[in-house]
Amino acid sequence: MLVFETPKSFKKDFRYSFCKGCDHGIAIRLVAELIDELGLKEKTILTTSIGCSVTMYDFMDLDCIEAPHGRALAVATGVKRACPDKFVFTYQGDGDFASIGLAESMHAALRGESLTAICINNTTYGMTGGQLGPTTMMGQITTTSPMGRNREYYGYPIHIAEQIAMCDGTAYSARVSLDSVPNIRKAKAAIKKAFEAQLKGLGLGFVEILSTCPTNWNMTPSEAHEHVKNNMTKTFPLGIYKDVTEE
Amino acid sequence: MEENFIFAGFGGQGILLAGKILANAFMLEGKNVTWYPCYGAEMRGGTVNCEIVVSNDEVSSVHKKDTDFAIVLNQLSFDKFVSRVKAGGTIIANSSLVKTLKPRSDIKYIFAPITEIAQKLGELKTANIISLGVLASACHQLTTDSLYKAIDYVLPAHRKNLLQLNLEALNLGFGLVAPQAV
Amino acid sequence: MAKELIKGNFAIAQAALNAGLQCYFGYPITPQTEIGEFLSLKMPQMGLGYVSAESEVAAINMVLGACSTGAKAMTTSSSCAVALMQEALAYAASDELPIVLVNVMRAGPGLGSIYPAQGDYYQTVYGGGNGDYRMVVYAPSTVQECIELTYKTFYTAHKYRTPVTLLADGLLGQMMEPAEFTPYPYPEVDSSSWALTGAKDRGGRTICSYGPDEQKQIKHVFSLFEKYKLISEREVMYEEYMTNDADFLMVGFGSLARNIKAAVRKLREQGIKAGMLRPITLFPFPEKRISELASQCREVMTVEMNMGQMYTDVRLAVNGKTKTSLLNIRPVGEWMSVEEIVDAVINSTEKVYASI
Repeated sequence: MLVFETPKSFKKDFRYSFCKGCDHGIAIRLVAELIDELGLKEKTILTTSIGCSVTMYDFMDLDCIEAPHGRALAVATGVKRACPDKFVFTYQGDGDFASIGLAESMHAALRGESLTAICINNTTYGMTGGQLGPTTMMGQITTTSPMGRNREYYGYPIHIAEQIAMCDGTAYSARVSLDSVPNIRKAKAAIKKAFEAQLKGLGLGFVEILSTCPTNWNMTPSEAHEHVKNNMTKTFPLGIYKDVTEE
Repeated sequence: MEENFIFAGFGGQGILLAGKILANAFMLEGKNVTWYPCYGAEMRGGTVNCEIVVSNDEVSSVHKKDTDFAIVLNQLSFDKFVSRVKAGGTIIANSSLVKTLKPRSDIKYIFAPITEIAQKLGELKTANIISLGVLASACHQLTTDSLYKAIDYVLPAHRKNLLQLNLEALNLGFGLVAPQAV
Repeated sequence: MAKELIKGNFAIAQAALNAGLQCYFGYPITPQTEIGEFLSLKMPQMGLGYVSAESEVAAINMVLGACSTGAKAMTTSSSCAVALMQEALAYAASDELPIVLVNVMRAGPGLGSIYPAQGDYYQTVYGGGNGDYRMVVYAPSTVQECIELTYKTFYTAHKYRTPVTLLADGLLGQMMEPAEFTPYPYPEVDSSSWALTGAKDRGGRTICSYGPDEQKQIKHVFSLFEKYKLISEREVMYEEYMTNDADFLMVGFGSLARNIKAAVRKLREQGIKAGMLRPITLFPFPEKRISELASQCREVMTVEMNMGQMYTDVRLAVNGKTKTSLLNIRPVGEWMSVEEIVDAVINSTEKVYASI
């Protein structure tokens, strides 16, 4: 009999705190399943950072440190250099990873830190109520781009997975989405690869996960997933941008 | 009682090392001593200097406005530090590279052809050691013997073969002064 | 071990290794760059963690991460770059992490200059981060003290699980003087009850400063200040010089205190009963002792190389018991000379007698 269970690395008494239709829940579950499957719980130290992603530590029965905004990969670097035998990963949003923390993110990749970094890209600052972020798409309306993102005022969004793939220290970089079951499966496979990159000591493993933010997008959960599939993937094509884990 | 010394010259003339040897000489004699270099952007122009303070008490100011002895190995350093010598103090100048002018009448001047002596000795890099020899002849606190011990102390094991050369340089510097002091 | 001529910056770096430093993260800035240079050679040889960080912001956050595992970790920097670290220091205070920060002060504000100054008193002692927290601060005056107080900095940080700063200055960092590497004298502090080591045979631990629950946050801040109170009771350090019968007290910290001491000797030769108190911990501040001495002195003069920052604490300690004054002829660069200090005291003394 197939029983759908809560991952073992989840807290027994966790309380689901994300908005309905938000993909954080799926992403966190995928990470938790992999920690279970690879038997990593006892050696894992998680670094979260500021934004909706920070609450991951409310779900996970793991050792966890909260980094100041944007500094997750610097904090994780410190953890890993102090304890090279631990499994250390970061879980951040796109504003945290690619705006305020871009230097820390990029340099962790350039140094080839033995870390895994997961970045949730929902094209907006979710926790503060939907402002323009580094990944906000051209034309997208946010509370700080009420006329929509344009070149004149805001410039262009960053393509994180491609940028991280360009760093010599990156072992794996992929962009995945969670808008359908096949894509969720692919996302899990990508996260597994990014975990393995660290476990094999090959360098930074990175996954950018296109995610929904129905609340700030003013959409229903299903509309939000349609938006990911039909619009977001056009600006942010899914795919593996670098993979040296099999070499 | 405190006495201080400023060494100054081009980068590469061994200024900081001369200062370190002097500081070590005082330390080995059990005196309180400090060594303080110019640093950062101040060094980028190619000139370098350091200040040594020796004291029977705890050293007070590590970096003073004026100095008892200035040992200057190039013209730039002479121009910069001649005004900082205390009245009654001494400036030792490398006359191979410094004009033998005396802009003040209240200090002692020792002009010694330090670079020429170093060339004659066959090793230009001994100029700083020769200048220490000159200093030893002018400073009652100092002997060539204590400087020699300091050089021995500072030289790493694989460089001990340079001891003899340094001793010669010290003695040459020491011998220079009497006839040349003015 | 015999004394050797040691540069302040090397003294701090080697002392940190002696104290059991496991990780160093840093970014170059004059006048402390030699610390990172020295450790970049030593630490890889010893199999220890060393990262040339991309910024001071990254460096201090790396320290934060390393400290969360209970490791002894350190960063070193100077003034305007320490300003960049304030956010993480506030996190570390709230997270109760034993961060060791060495600040070899230069002059400010802003880029300022590379010359020595003492303008970071407020930044260091009162903290530039947000919220209610305190930072323990040790201020060495000699190269020997750079060694001993580096040891103390590590021990206090780990004993009380709180960020601690060693506040040196450019003069102390760059100078050499005879000093001796005594062995690290403190016991190791057990971090097993809180450090992140992986959730093995226990539930997961979370180190965070985020307190969405108001009541919990109130309790947390109160508990931090209980700890600071304990530190204030136990860890105050200061040096007194000729204070027994002093009726003119000078208060100064760091390497400038050397000049003040010499000034005390000269003033005594001239019949002025001067004395000096040098706070070694800037927080906790030796307010009790200053208050006691204020009762016997006709004047307490704060002597510092800034526009009067420690003066605030001295005035609070004296609390109106006697006259207070500030001597700060220059806020930057050449330390006030012994003669300048002597003249100022004589001048002040004459004024007092003239007014009688």
